[in-house]
Amino acid sequence: MRNAHPGLPELDYVKPGSLEEASKFLAAHAGESRPFLGGTDCIVRIRDGAWKPKYLVDVKGLEGTTGISFDPAKGLTIGAAVPMNKVAAHPDVQKHYPLLVEACNWVASYQLRSRATIVGNVCNASPAGDTIGAAICLDGVLNVFGPDGYRKEPLTTFFFGPGKTALKPGDIATSIFFPLPPKESAGKYLKLGRNRLGDLAIVGVTAFAYKDASVASGYRFRIALASVGPTPIRPTAAEEILAKSIDESAVEAAAQAAMDSCTPIDDTRGTARYRKLMIRNLTRQAVSAVLAQLKK
Amino acid sequence: MSLHRITLKVNGSTEIVDVPGNWTLLQMLREKLALTGTKNGCASGECGACTVIMNGDAVNSCMVLAAECEGAEIITVEGLSKEGQLDALQKFMIETGGIQCGFCTPGVLLSAKALLMRNPNPSEYDIREALAGNLCRCTGYNRIITAVQKAAAVH
Amino acid sequence: MVVARKEKTAGPVGQSVLRNDVLEKATGAAVYTDDIQFGPGLLFARVKRSPVPHGILKKVDVSKALALPGVKCVVTGKDYPDLMGLYLKDRATFAVDRVRFIGEPVAAVAAVTEEIAEAALDLIELEIEELPAVFDPELGAQKGAPLLHPDLENYVHPNFIFPEPGTNISNHFKIRRGDVEAAWPKCAAIVETKVRVPHIQHVPIETHVAVALADDKGKVTLWSSTQSPFAQRAMLAKTFHVPESDMRVIATYVGGGFGCKAGVTMEAIPIALALKVKGHPVKFRLTREEEFYTNFVRQGLILNLKVGCDKDGNLLAMENTMYWDGGAYTEYGVNVTRAGGYSSTGPFDIPNVKTDSICVYTNHPSGGPYRGFGMSELHTGLLQVMDMLAEKIGMDKVEFLKKNVIQGGDTVATGMTMHETGIKECVDKVAAAIDWGKKEAPTAPNKLRGKGIAVMWKAPAMPPNAGSSAIVKMNSDGTLDVSIGGQEIGQGTFTAMAQIAAQTLGMPYDAVRVSGPIDTKYSPYEWQTVASRLTWSMGNAVRLAAQDARQKILNLVAEAWKEDPKDLDIQDGVVISYKSEESIPVKDFVVYGLPKENDQGWIGGPIVGTGSFMPTYVTGLDPETGQGPRAVVHYTTGAQAVDIEIDKETGRLEVLRAAAAFDVGKAINPDLVAGQIEGGFVQGMSSAMFEGAMLENGVWRNPSFVDYRIATTMDVPPKIDAMFVETAQDDGPYGARGVGEHPMVPTIAALANAIKDATGVRITNPPFSAEKIYLALVDAGIVK
Repeated sequence: MRNAHPGLPELDYVKPGSLEEASKFLAAHAGESRPFLGGTDCIVRIRDGAWKPKYLVDVKGLEGTTGISFDPAKGLTIGAAVPMNKVAAHPDVQKHYPLLVEACNWVASYQLRSRATIVGNVCNASPAGDTIGAAICLDGVLNVFGPDGYRKEPLTTFFFGPGKTALKPGDIATSIFFPLPPKESAGKYLKLGRNRLGDLAIVGVTAFAYKDASVASGYRFRIALASVGPTPIRPTAAEEILAKSIDESAVEAAAQAAMDSCTPIDDTRGTARYRKLMIRNLTRQAVSAVLAQLKK
Repeated sequence: MSLHRITLKVNGSTEIVDVPGNWTLLQMLREKLALTGTKNGCASGECGACTVIMNGDAVNSCMVLAAECEGAEIITVEGLSKEGQLDALQKFMIETGGIQCGFCTPGVLLSAKALLMRNPNPSEYDIREALAGNLCRCTGYNRIITAVQKAAAVH
Repeated sequence: MVVARKEKTAGPVGQSVLRNDVLEKATGAAVYTDDIQFGPGLLFARVKRSPVPHGILKKVDVSKALALPGVKCVVTGKDYPDLMGLYLKDRATFAVDRVRFIGEPVAAVAAVTEEIAEAALDLIELEIEELPAVFDPELGAQKGAPLLHPDLENYVHPNFIFPEPGTNISNHFKIRRGDVEAAWPKCAAIVETKVRVPHIQHVPIETHVAVALADDKGKVTLWSSTQSPFAQRAMLAKTFHVPESDMRVIATYVGGGFGCKAGVTMEAIPIALALKVKGHPVKFRLTREEEFYTNFVRQGLILNLKVGCDKDGNLLAMENTMYWDGGAYTEYGVNVTRAGGYSSTGPFDIPNVKTDSICVYTNHPSGGPYRGFGMSELHTGLLQVMDMLAEKIGMDKVEFLKKNVIQGGDTVATGMTMHETGIKECVDKVAAAIDWGKKEAPTAPNKLRGKGIAVMWKAPAMPPNAGSSAIVKMNSDGTLDVSIGGQEIGQGTFTAMAQIAAQTLGMPYDAVRVSGPIDTKYSPYEWQTVASRLTWSMGNAVRLAAQDARQKILNLVAEAWKEDPKDLDIQDGVVISYKSEESIPVKDFVVYGLPKENDQGWIGGPIVGTGSFMPTYVTGLDPETGQGPRAVVHYTTGAQAVDIEIDKETGRLEVLRAAAAFDVGKAINPDLVAGQIEGGFVQGMSSAMFEGAMLENGVWRNPSFVDYRIATTMDVPPKIDAMFVETAQDDGPYGARGVGEHPMVPTIAALANAIKDATGVRITNPPFSAEKIYLALVDAGIVK
């Protein structure tokens, strides 16, 4: 059993002056350096001995990483350095992306969210990441600066496994962009932890839907499941059921399909058996809650 | 290992400190500035005993590197009372029995202070939510909640 | 000012005066051990720990660690092979030739920084030959199980501990009373069940920390976060062959103890290092993870219970076999087992009793004292069985409990006569507080609601001769210093002692200063801050010391005024005569004395009062029958009731209302009593809902706050009805008994009973996690 360090082992803090400088340093020290944002995952994992970087490269404050900007024609850009509490308190986010606010407020504790960032949560790619489901359902796209300059990484193809993503050494996610959500849309994040608040998710269910006359039910759903597989899971079978019908039996069938789509494990937070049942129940609740909002 | 020289404000006073890159804000406060009111309970962002206010918001000081604090403004428990006058939160924590062993108290006070700074009229739920990251093993919490309610009433 | 005797002011005892330790705690000024600044000479300790649960330690090679720059010394078991232990000397500072749990200290490093000390651990090479291990106490107690302590017969222990050498049983406590076999046929209902209670951890927010300094003559000073400065002095002096007077323990404020900072856990380690680097203070601080898996745990328990009653609900017989998972070393745990044994009937009058309380060595972390030790575990099983019995004969549970609870004059199972106690009143109070008998509607359609109740008792579990002492020193500014050796661990004992001193002397409460930190060099002796014994035992010592000072004051003034001391009194810091109507402030003479008439000299001098208290009446018990005139000093009794709801969608348990009442004899400070009752309830509730060590083949899988959750602000009921009754304790100060531990004792059982009431499903084994409840509902066909 690996004992955690009392504090952080010896390492150095690096504060580059530009994205180029940061990217070069990270590429040159691949495997022994990490970009550093809120630090709330990083410090924990280094203390645990899971990560052993020699250098933490603070990219907060570099070009494009600060601030929240909302363009009514395009959408929302959240800098990588913006802590979750700032996101949740932002009036444009509250007005146009309430699902993001809800997801942020389920993360750990208030004081942790003063540091933790959405981009950090996404890039660390924990299957339990609370904001990842919302980011996926809202069609999030990461803006990444790497050795070859800027590129975009849509979240649909970003996650490979726990902690494994499309990011490579020298890459710095500078911000996350969300297009304008469809008109008449609504979302819900339901999280089950051992405590009522503050725990990691035993399971988490994000449901998002908008009115769409082109499908039989009139509603198009996006659903994301947390903590029930190596990556966040999109239960497309459930989404398709709801495109056909949203009556009670369809919602139940979608919940069942979500349950069938996930591959949880037993761990200290819960067993696979319980997790599957909870995915079913929370999917039912989340879908119903979204429909109730849309029917208002 | 190189040292980083940083300048920051702690409880209104400007400090210049040389810190190793692996040190946290918590270590710097306790071991360089002798502000030992801020407590180390887990060093992993879970217990809240090390909570301070950084640039106007509550943070776990064990989750912040000291080297990142260039230009930061920090308030610790030692900075809550002004010229011997206790902050209302301190006064009501004492009067309502919100303190037993006292080890979580500094973190609780700073979380509550940050709450009242951003929301002067919090509901009971707001208070419980804001303090959910401050573990207390002694009191059972309700007296702490009452203390914050009373402090909010005179805020 | 003349006051008639009958108008005497009430005094601070019984008043909810403000605590005397909280101003400094609210401002960050209160000093805990980790806060003391030791300057640049300070070294930091880290510990190399066993990676396997059981094995022969073949080699510990520290040469590479010693060569690391910054490392000042490394010590191993070979350096300090002496055994120590509070009740059974079975544990060395470091493993000597055998390791017995994952996390057991094997070597320690002192270095100039904590990082270097930590890095040095990886350079220590261990060679261990693994042995078969014991992880289940019931199996471990059988003949033929792998033997953990082949030397058990040589371990030193007092005469009330009964090890069985050649087995893993380190203590076997028995009660044989009446004839259970003859009683079973007379029972109208019998419940037989097995209950498992998991290991839990104390989780003080301050982890263990200790700093040791040895001078060039080998005198040692230890600064430690401890409930037991004097017990540590005694144990550590013996272990390190230092005279007790040269082992000085300075005990600062403690950031939560709950038992885990009693006795010695990790404090020997910095001393072992400091003796090799004389002149350098050495600090050792447990990480939160180490606090979980290397520190005293509340031992796990397997209870095999069989209880029967007649058709009217009268309890007739109980058979109770308890296997305690004592862990690798049971130096303290053997007494947990003993306490679980002599109190094994719970607060019930049962004529036929057969108890076997068996402490078993396992390859798990060592068990130790945890708030109300033995009692929460025992009551978790026993009070569920009482609930089941009441159901079985169709009797209301409150009626069943009231019919059977122990009363003054009853003979308890060990043969002692029970003193008067208000347990029935406690039951009535908590039942009324949650509207017992009234079926409440759930707050939402997907919820199930129910109520549960449980009663409890607990005696201070300690050696028969655990003593207390106190010194009261009067000052010329109208204040007085009260020196004690009991520790302020958050329970408010400094405040209660100040109240008792003030009341006894006739001084204002605000005039009393309680001297801290506790320092074995200057503070008077106290056994340990454990067992809910301070209010009673140390309170008696303080009262006697205050009486001594008071008598000296009255004698002095009587001599000066040529009056009879019986006509004098002290009120609010002023000596008054009911006869002559003279008066004089105490501060005017308690240091400098009083002048004789006409400048003919002086009388008196600095007033110092001393007091000591030790119970002298606790007797031994027969090793085969557990019978004896007086097993314990007294029992505090009480009851708890809860009104709960279960979410049918998730299984989540929510406590809507909670009520608790205890017979405290006399509430010295009602608000502090309420604080203990509320905090204890939440700690018990937390253990019931969330807590349990996940031990798999000796590996603790959840040794952090990420994976071992405790209750937060969001999990507790908004109001906890904290009540007490006051049936005076004949030998308690102002009639007081302790109540620090009791509030968490009945909680798990009360919640289990409420879950049964709400769902119809009996889930016996805590924790009652949402998952466990939900899956039980699925298995019972209540939800799909």
